[in-house]
Amino acid sequence: MKIIIENLKKTFGEKVAVDIERYEIKDGEMLGLVGNNGAGKSTLFRLMLDLIKADSGRVLMQPSPEEMADGLAKSDVDVSTTEDWKDWTGAFVDESFLIDYLTPDEYFQFLGRISGRKQEDVDAFLQEFGHFMAGEVAGQKKLIRNLSAGNKQKVGIVGAMLLQPKVLILDEPFNFLDPSSQNAIKHLLQDYNRKTGATILVSSHNLQHTVDICPRIALLEHGVIIRDIENANGEATAELENYFEL
Amino acid sequence: MNKYRLYRLLVEQQELKDKRHPMLEKNRFMKILMWFMVLYYAAILLLMGAMLPMGFSGMYPGVAAFHVMDGFLPWLLLVDFWTRFGLQETPAQQVRQYSILPVRRSFLMNIYLLRTAFSSGNLFWGFMLVPFGAICVLPLLGWGGFLLWLLGWWLLCVADGLCYLFCRALCMKSFLWVLLPLAVHGGIVALMLVPDKNPLDMPCTVMMYEFAKGNLLYIIGAAALIALFYWANYALQMRMVYNEVAKKEEVELKSATQMNYLNRWGTLGEYLKMEIKLRMRNSQVRMQFFVGIGFILFFSVIQYFSDVYSGAFMSSFVCMYDYMVLGMMTLITIMCYEGNYIDGLMARRESIYALLRAKYYFNTAVLIFPFLIVLPLIIAGRSSLWMNLGYLFLTAGVMYPMIFQMAVYNNNTLPLNQKLTGKQGNTMQQIVSMVVLFLPILLEKLLVLVLGDVWGYVALIALGTLGIATHKVWLRNIYTRFMARRYVNMDGFRTSRNS
Repeated sequence: MKIIIENLKKTFGEKVAVDIERYEIKDGEMLGLVGNNGAGKSTLFRLMLDLIKADSGRVLMQPSPEEMADGLAKSDVDVSTTEDWKDWTGAFVDESFLIDYLTPDEYFQFLGRISGRKQEDVDAFLQEFGHFMAGEVAGQKKLIRNLSAGNKQKVGIVGAMLLQPKVLILDEPFNFLDPSSQNAIKHLLQDYNRKTGATILVSSHNLQHTVDICPRIALLEHGVIIRDIENANGEATAELENYFEL
Repeated sequence: MNKYRLYRLLVEQQELKDKRHPMLEKNRFMKILMWFMVLYYAAILLLMGAMLPMGFSGMYPGVAAFHVMDGFLPWLLLVDFWTRFGLQETPAQQVRQYSILPVRRSFLMNIYLLRTAFSSGNLFWGFMLVPFGAICVLPLLGWGGFLLWLLGWWLLCVADGLCYLFCRALCMKSFLWVLLPLAVHGGIVALMLVPDKNPLDMPCTVMMYEFAKGNLLYIIGAAALIALFYWANYALQMRMVYNEVAKKEEVELKSATQMNYLNRWGTLGEYLKMEIKLRMRNSQVRMQFFVGIGFILFFSVIQYFSDVYSGAFMSSFVCMYDYMVLGMMTLITIMCYEGNYIDGLMARRESIYALLRAKYYFNTAVLIFPFLIVLPLIIAGRSSLWMNLGYLFLTAGVMYPMIFQMAVYNNNTLPLNQKLTGKQGNTMQQIVSMVVLFLPILLEKLLVLVLGDVWGYVALIALGTLGIATHKVWLRNIYTRFMARRYVNMDGFRTSRNS
């Protein structure tokens, strides 16, 4: 699924949060989004998920010929005018995505069922995340609200991926995670991208992780993508370190 | 910093917290309405205070009117206690935010407890008692008696407030504690209504008279009662602050209910499970439900044992209230709890429509509770079966469609597990609350007047059935309008989420 951003603008009072004339994310691409606090990363994701209203412009999801042949979508989908894109998009931005009075298992079951997935498929899928969840999430009789911040983060990420989306959007997925889990999620995302050809967008303040997994990185400043960095062989490190004055 | 300056600082912060509540900042109408309601109730109390002396003199000739009023002491304290549930916060969570600052926790707790105990709210009954006492206590007992009589009432209100605070704190720990005041107050009500002569009448009258005479024993007794409740509150609230800070709570579910029987409903079944778990696992939501049931039980007991509500208007009103109260308590704020996880819901196709359907089915099914509670009244012939069926169907098919409209306009997130104060709510919520309290009565009276008793209620049932049969149509309409307003609503939910 290709994503096209056209003339997208969002301001909060005088402050410009997002101002992108045109930007395309190719089908099956893994894009890293980096920038300082207030650069507009989360706002851009919220605009892409139709959670806030753009002042102008639009976000289009453009299915590939194969996806069109599969009946996923017939043409470009503007996220603000239809709900079709919700069938193939998984996302975790913050805790407001979690129904915190459910246990993780209940939450996964809920997501699985409302997406029309069989329980066996959900269970099989969750098994792939066994290492990532480290026995502290699935099978627990704890409500999500009683989990640690890191385990909540895991529930959100697994929940987003459980839907086996064509577009996966994760805001700061490495936050709160221990080093093992950070590495585990890196591998899981790369594997998922390789196996399914899904388009994945990840924002992070962790430059190393972003550089490790994303062949392309967009650098945001005051809502504007100021650099579009090719990173097929990890060459973005120097440019990012220079920008962030590390 | 000396203790007085620290006190002033904390009070200022508390006032800022109230003043800057997002719902009040956004909603000028709400501010005006709050003041209007305060003035409205103050005016009603003033009027009662001025009229009751004459009324009592007519009803009980030869008895001083203030003795009659003193006999109503338990009723007034009961009303005082239960109205506090919607208006008064507990101090434990107010203290939590200062717990790691270099301020003694005991000092903070004492400040908040004293502010709560001696808040101006405890003087509100004065709008009725001052004019009442001025008319019938002052001429008989002079200024000293009048002021001491008022002091007695005020001391008992303070004790009642602290008693409420203690029960409220217990309810925050476990909703089952709500049974304690319900049982005690139910017992008191039964004691006052069941015997031919109210056995509490004389002791209350004597006690208030002794206050008025300045009997130190009684004044010290009331002060001791306040001190006892204060101490109990202090001990309980301090432990609750510790639990808050240490996050010491039961985190393991004893059993995670599967509710597999709902699987046959597919996606809708999942939203039904979610709705049921919302009610079961979140103290604030659970509390609303049980307070609603408590109200129905309370009115039913009174109806069963007395003729207070046997008049044509009051019997209709109580019957309507029995069916409406649960919906009014939980559906006026529809979607406000979902504001906590609205982004997750909005990321799924038509999830709000499925959620609205689940809420409708759940709330309609829940109407069986008031029906079962009033069934003994129907069997005993103290409430009409037709009237009950009429209001049951009217609620599900006419009033619910009206209240569900709030899903389009509500955009203030309510905390799932913390206290509710009287400050949440928006303009539409207030208007709809008023409409749903009076429209059913008007409709019923009109239909019964035109069609007669039985056919009037049959018409109500028919209207309700029509609403129930077309629920998918009007729920779809609400969903469509919700989606048209989604950006405004999501912004509101986000802004108010952690305030």
